[in-house]
Amino acid sequence: MEVFGLLAGGFGTALQPINLAFLLVGVTLGLVIGVLPGLGGTSGVAILLPISVVIARGDIAGANSTTAIILLAGIYWGALFGGVITSILFNIPGEPWSVVLLFDGFPLAKRKGKPGLALTSSFLSSFVGAFIATVLFTLFAKEIADRALFFGPPELFAVFVLSFATLVGLGAESPLKALAMLALGLLLAAVGFDTITGQARLIPLSGTDNETLRGLQINLLAGIGFVPVTIGLFGIGEILASAEEQGIGYMEKISAKLGFKDLLEAFAALRQRWFLVISNSVIGFLFGVLPGHGATAASFLGYGLARQYSKNKEDFGKGEISGIMGPQATADAAGVASLVPMVTLGVPGSPTSAVMMAGLFVWGLQPGPLLFTEHSDFVWGLIASIYVGHFLTFVICLLAVPLLAAIMRVPYAIITPFIVVISIIGSYSLNNSMLDVSFTILFGLVGYWLRKMKYPLAPLVVALVLGDSTERELRKTLIAGGGNIGFFFSSGLATVMIALAVVILLLPFVRPAIARARGQRPAAAHAAD
Amino acid sequence: MRPYQVGTAAAIVLIAAAAMFDSRAAFAPVEGTAKGDVGASWYPFWTAAVMGIAAAISGFRALTLPQPKEGIFESRSSVAAVLNLVIPMVAYALSFTWLGFYLATALYMGLFAAYLGRYRWYWTLASGVLTPLAIYLMFEVGFKLLLPKSVFYPGIPF
Repeated sequence: MEVFGLLAGGFGTALQPINLAFLLVGVTLGLVIGVLPGLGGTSGVAILLPISVVIARGDIAGANSTTAIILLAGIYWGALFGGVITSILFNIPGEPWSVVLLFDGFPLAKRKGKPGLALTSSFLSSFVGAFIATVLFTLFAKEIADRALFFGPPELFAVFVLSFATLVGLGAESPLKALAMLALGLLLAAVGFDTITGQARLIPLSGTDNETLRGLQINLLAGIGFVPVTIGLFGIGEILASAEEQGIGYMEKISAKLGFKDLLEAFAALRQRWFLVISNSVIGFLFGVLPGHGATAASFLGYGLARQYSKNKEDFGKGEISGIMGPQATADAAGVASLVPMVTLGVPGSPTSAVMMAGLFVWGLQPGPLLFTEHSDFVWGLIASIYVGHFLTFVICLLAVPLLAAIMRVPYAIITPFIVVISIIGSYSLNNSMLDVSFTILFGLVGYWLRKMKYPLAPLVVALVLGDSTERELRKTLIAGGGNIGFFFSSGLATVMIALAVVILLLPFVRPAIARARGQRPAAAHAAD
Repeated sequence: MRPYQVGTAAAIVLIAAAAMFDSRAAFAPVEGTAKGDVGASWYPFWTAAVMGIAAAISGFRALTLPQPKEGIFESRSSVAAVLNLVIPMVAYALSFTWLGFYLATALYMGLFAAYLGRYRWYWTLASGVLTPLAIYLMFEVGFKLLLPKSVFYPGIPF
């Protein structure tokens, strides 16, 4: 098969010493980021984006844009594993996707006194989940991209609409709040020059004589940067939320050193649960391909599935290994899968892949199906690096748990301001702009507040990165059709995607009505909120 | 929780209204626009409209449906912990123009260690000196990424 030849070439790229070195740096940084509760994978990737620009433009001998994406993706893989350690040993989720491990991971470590087994079974299922997802990625990505090459403006617009619909209709939070955040992201993306007519839009107080305001307006004409906003929402916002928890105070702590016995025990547990791990990995992959959902929602889905189909439902919440392996396999598979729509369609599958996609734009690459034909080395190098990256992460985790857990001993008064400092560097250095720093702090405060009010941030971030493309395809479709709205439905595929988007959008509103009609109480007060 | 939810929704509606007002040209014909194109203002106008309507319904539901009883913060100490972080962070960012990145970072890290960490003076000094030094070596020397310098001390790297 053609893909195996291409994958072999990808391994040739990924295993080049410079790429391997940056992959190692990436996964190690990702593990550290994953362990630290105040810093997430999304903000970690965003903070290192300026460094990735230096790498991508070849300032470091032998490095190029493939090295840069391998570094950023490595951070994501490391963060997917790193959060596990904090959840299981400290009862604090290091990452949003490891919250679910508090239910069974920490009890297995503390109540049953098996921290080694809790950690190794978690790492092992993460590795298997990621491996299965990467195999599926390898087999299907080129097929999807080849088909997407024939997409015109109506199909591309329909892809964006479908992506937005899944963010609103299938999200865990209130669909109305998700819709408001999605529209806010699209609105922020529209600030500055209109790319078709060149008109200035959404520039506040235009016509003012105040010099400072005029300077601000001139800067705004270039648009609101995606990176400072994301670092603010996910970096500063998370550190503020974490500071609030520190204010509350209590932290559990268990020591763990992994031995060969733990690994054997984890393999035995995997053998008993192979069907759960494999099925959850495939479901995680399918779920992760949907834009905006990524690993966090998948981890809860994986936990729900593991519990639903378990013979020992009553053991869940008390240290049941299926409650660790099920969600971990799903979350890591979804994390890998979130790169599939980014590479094949130019649509990010999660906030973290949205940041990576912004990186591709900055490096001068166009995410989407053309990557497979114009930058084959880049795509296959990335895919091969996912296999290598997860293997490296797995080995590092097995060897270095005590060292990684020691990061949590760095005092709050050192680590917190340090995260603020590197967030600000990440925000400033992409454009050498103090306005970007102001945006980071402003959106940090806004993001913290929106999180408290249960407004989801993923739709905002995905819409911000896709806003320009969505508007462009919308208007290109209208121009091509001479203003005829029927042109949006000019192909069967576009029609099906838009119809599917409408169904997904209506789901949260229809479900409570159906439940009421059957005489059941809706699951949550805000089910249709 | 109710007033905060309603207030947040109202703020979003206000932003949407301002954006719709700014994009009111959506309804005025623009010369030179390609046949079939909706012009530059149509998209932001309707995006803002969707945002405003979604936030308004959300706010209305928060006003009329039962809301959780608990407050917005768990305790006074959690408010204090957030303010302890926000106030120095804003002061730190504002001080870049006058102090430059490195001096501002040294002060920020040092004061945080002294005030919140209550560390001994040598640890405070180490935190204040080593952090900017490590950043200088990594970003400016290693990756050639320039960080803001003070307007008062031109010529020196801090």
